[in-house]
Amino acid sequence: MKKGVLPVLGLTLALGLGSLWAVQATRSEGGGLLFDSAWWLVFLAPFLGVLAAGLTRRQDPRIEGDRVLRHDGAARLEHWAHGLGTALLLATGVGLGFLFVPRLVRDTDGVWLMMNLHFVGVVVFLFGTFYYAANTIVSAYRFKEHLPTGNAFSFTVQHYGKLLGIKKFTMPPEDKYFESEKMAYILAILASVGVILSGIVKVLAHLMDLPAWLVSAATPVHGVSTIAMLLFFVAHVFFSSVLPMSWPVLRSMFTGYVPREYAEKEHAGWYQRLSASESTTTGKEA
Amino acid sequence: MSDIKDVNPAEDGARGLSRRQFMGGIGALGALGVIGGAVAQVFLLPDEVIAYPVSGGFLLVDQKKCSGCSTCMAACAIAHHGAANHSLSRIQITQNPFKAFPYDIDPVQCWQCDECVQACPTGAMHVDPETGVRTVDQLRCIGCLRCVAACPRAVSAVQWSEEGHASQKCDLCLDTPYMDDEGGIDGRRACESVCPMRAIKFTTDLPEQTEDGYSPNLRTENWASFGYVADIEG
Repeated sequence: MKKGVLPVLGLTLALGLGSLWAVQATRSEGGGLLFDSAWWLVFLAPFLGVLAAGLTRRQDPRIEGDRVLRHDGAARLEHWAHGLGTALLLATGVGLGFLFVPRLVRDTDGVWLMMNLHFVGVVVFLFGTFYYAANTIVSAYRFKEHLPTGNAFSFTVQHYGKLLGIKKFTMPPEDKYFESEKMAYILAILASVGVILSGIVKVLAHLMDLPAWLVSAATPVHGVSTIAMLLFFVAHVFFSSVLPMSWPVLRSMFTGYVPREYAEKEHAGWYQRLSASESTTTGKEA
Repeated sequence: MSDIKDVNPAEDGARGLSRRQFMGGIGALGALGVIGGAVAQVFLLPDEVIAYPVSGGFLLVDQKKCSGCSTCMAACAIAHHGAANHSLSRIQITQNPFKAFPYDIDPVQCWQCDECVQACPTGAMHVDPETGVRTVDQLRCIGCLRCVAACPRAVSAVQWSEEGHASQKCDLCLDTPYMDDEGGIDGRRACESVCPMRAIKFTTDLPEQTEDGYSPNLRTENWASFGYVADIEG
């Protein structure tokens, strides 16, 4: 088994065990909400993410023969923890209903199962998100390379127009992330912050007597953030997994590597930087 | 294959405490704090004992008098939601023609016990401090349905409201935006007012409790006025 897939396997295992726990808690005598009995895990998960970031030694992208390391183990772990957690949260959130979405589960057992699975999603999501956030604070340049440039909007329109075949445009040499991805990144951050802050209020309501206005404000904020997250998620999955041109990057989210040829063609700016850095390193070593 | 590590001095502690060490410290301290707090809550804090005051009023429904016309359901829905929609009613009349009288019609009114209040994890289901009526603060409700499951009635006296995205229950008409008269303990209850059989009666006295809750005898003078045999002695 390749070492690169370990983060994905570990997370899948964690989600599987968590889901079994959710089912067991729902079926137990008298039923139970994990948000009530295991609330502390919701607050532990972010700190575990920060701790993990403190213990992680990141690897920078580099060219290795005919392939390029794009996503090190930490990047894959934080991506899949955030992504799989989000997927579970969205699925169970839609099942529970919010804003204009009617509730799909009708009986109490169904609602508790959805809520307990939502709990598992919250823990995994928070771990992944805080692991990413702390890693980003440790290495601020990883945050900067995600931020859009002044041309981001026009480049995004051109990029998606080109992808959909309705525009002809020669893109300037792209960096590690497309300008369009950088725009989506802003939406993902805003949606995550909204979901987390309003979600914390909703969990705290299980523990202490909060003012009604605060709880009542958290619910619509959670719903609006969920809609933003849903839009981002659907677009992200489509452009990163469904379109054939993105498949090499999707593969690198499991293995860590993209083909050198792909990096050279699609991320020319990034590849040039890596090449320059490589020759500098080689020069120093020589 | 050589690992290329991050070379930013701030990350690796070339100048004192590194960012990485700082993050590790914050994470470890926070995790210990959360685990410590959870352990303290389980082992050190005493169990909380909460006593709920008795409700200031109760709805009595005589199962033998109820004809199952559902007028009360329509009145309840109109008083609370402005629509004659039985799905919105907080009093439920269930009918089973295969059961024998009087069990063929089962009026389910809230007994104003505190099972739902105890089950609520957020305090949304609460005891009204002035009247003692068990009612829902819908803004606080997170929709977990624990109150619905906790209700001792076979058909829950607490319902999920698709409109409000929250639980709802009989509040003895404390909050009736579509009713002109004042509701509650000292006011008027819509279901009681409209029942053509006079099978619903409000009382401020705690009803005599049985294993099946309480099933009062309201078959008195009014009952006789319909031509039925009154059961004044019970």
